[in-house]
Amino acid sequence: MSFGSSPVVLCARQELLLAARSRWTQIFAAVFGALALAVAASGYVLSGGGGIEDYARTATSLASLVILLVPVTALVIGILALSSDRGATEILYSQPVARRTILLGRVLGLFVALAAAQAIGLGGAGLVIFWRAGSSGLSAYGILFAGALAATAIFLGIAALLASGGSVRRSRALAIALIVWFGAVILFDVAVLAAATLLTSGPASRLLVTAVLVNPADAVRTATLLGIHGTTAFGAASLALLRFTRGPVGAALLLGASTLFWILAPLALAVRRIERADL
Amino acid sequence: MIRFEEFGKSFGPRAAVTSLTCSVEAGEAVALLGPNGSGKTTTLKGAAGLIRPTTGRVRIGAPPRDARLPEARRTISYLPQKVAFPEALTGREVLEFYRALRGAAPGRVPDVLKFASLNGASNRGIASYSGGMVQRLGLAVALLPDAPILLLDEPTAALDPDGLCAFYGLVEKRRSEGHTVLFTSHQLGDVERLADRLLLLVEGRLVASLTQGELAERLAERGGMRLRLDRPAPGLLAAIRPVAPRATWAGEELVVPGPAKDRPRVLDLVRESGASIVNLVATEGRLDVLYRELVSEDRP
Repeated sequence: MSFGSSPVVLCARQELLLAARSRWTQIFAAVFGALALAVAASGYVLSGGGGIEDYARTATSLASLVILLVPVTALVIGILALSSDRGATEILYSQPVARRTILLGRVLGLFVALAAAQAIGLGGAGLVIFWRAGSSGLSAYGILFAGALAATAIFLGIAALLASGGSVRRSRALAIALIVWFGAVILFDVAVLAAATLLTSGPASRLLVTAVLVNPADAVRTATLLGIHGTTAFGAASLALLRFTRGPVGAALLLGASTLFWILAPLALAVRRIERADL
Repeated sequence: MIRFEEFGKSFGPRAAVTSLTCSVEAGEAVALLGPNGSGKTTTLKGAAGLIRPTTGRVRIGAPPRDARLPEARRTISYLPQKVAFPEALTGREVLEFYRALRGAAPGRVPDVLKFASLNGASNRGIASYSGGMVQRLGLAVALLPDAPILLLDEPTAALDPDGLCAFYGLVEKRRSEGHTVLFTSHQLGDVERLADRLLLLVEGRLVASLTQGELAERLAERGGMRLRLDRPAPGLLAAIRPVAPRATWAGEELVVPGPAKDRPRVLDLVRESGASIVNLVATEGRLDVLYRELVSEDRP
């Protein structure tokens, strides 16, 4: 069996084709590009200036937006794709292919589709930035893209986990996904910072460090900012992590491990869930 | 070929199928019948490896393998009750995908498109298909591989008469080639036309298993004839009752319920009595009536 005809590649290719034809993916690429361009163009407005920011400043400004937008997009597009109509699911999973192969192939296809959408969006804006502001800080823009890919992989895995129970209704999975997104991206930070203000310095630091590592959105955001700007753009939680790891190398390793864990753990659970599901 | 061994499936507190033990042999076409909610679809899904049995197991193929293993699914093609495909794809793209997944030859796609009469629509998006076209596409997908076992859940539900004819022809061909067909249907015509045997499920339990011969016998018992006679003899009824005990007069007609094998003897007795037959109408038992009788017998 050649690589191109292996079941995982066939499932990935099929999902990629579907995602490429989906309005959601197309809108995502357009919105992503428009936001990147808007951020690059509005960077100097507050300081009374004008023009397009360079890659590094745009990447820093975009990091929080990416962490807000990419998870919800990956969750919604992932669940819409992976919780297909019952008849379609039954036909697909009655084929002589292991369930895990089908699921992982589909997730891979979705990941490639969303990565391509981000590449188109960020790439389009990147071309304008290059044209108007030159190539300064290009690596920071690349790190932002890597952060977006990591967030995509993590939240697609979570989408797969939510959608892979056989009897899960799409609307229910979507509702849970939005709760997960709101909790991870917005509520978690607010709750942790509120709790930290009630603690003394030591326990507060430990809480903040734990918070950065256990929340995938925070781990990706912190790792992206660390990659773009070193430690200069860090907030309270990230600085606590830096103190805990005694330097950026340790912090990068811990953040990398956390990100890898959050990519693999939901996928492993999703595989376990689909293999046990009644379809 | 398909073996249900104490197969049971519960969804929460509700038992969909209880302790089903039966088998479908190679080359057999077996119909699963039963009212809505009797466990037909659950049984078929068990054979397709789509559900985990709560009790017992389902084994497929030769040598028998657990239906949930991919190797076992290599021997089956499954058509679900509600066929659906991603609407953004064309019919041909769907077929090409499943052809590649099953490792079937590229030439199979035009073949099944022809069977499904979808040639003219194969490059159109599925979003533009009617319900019947989606059903035919589902059948085409099920026929792509030359799988020795076909599992079909209400395959004729949305087919037009042309589609129905093509489907009957195809199943008969597959059966003649030694393939096994297990299907559910509410169309009793499908059962009479296609099935070598029927299995009747009521509330998750197997309550009857009848071969085509046994079915014909049961139906014949429910048939009869109505005779209009010229100059009937007064003792005619008494003369024929030893052969047809339920014979009776209904107005001017002699009604003789009973199997077809007894009818020649009754006609001989009528002629021997000196009566001449003016009109004769023979009726066969109806499958729907038999079905209702069997179902109501076994409902608690």
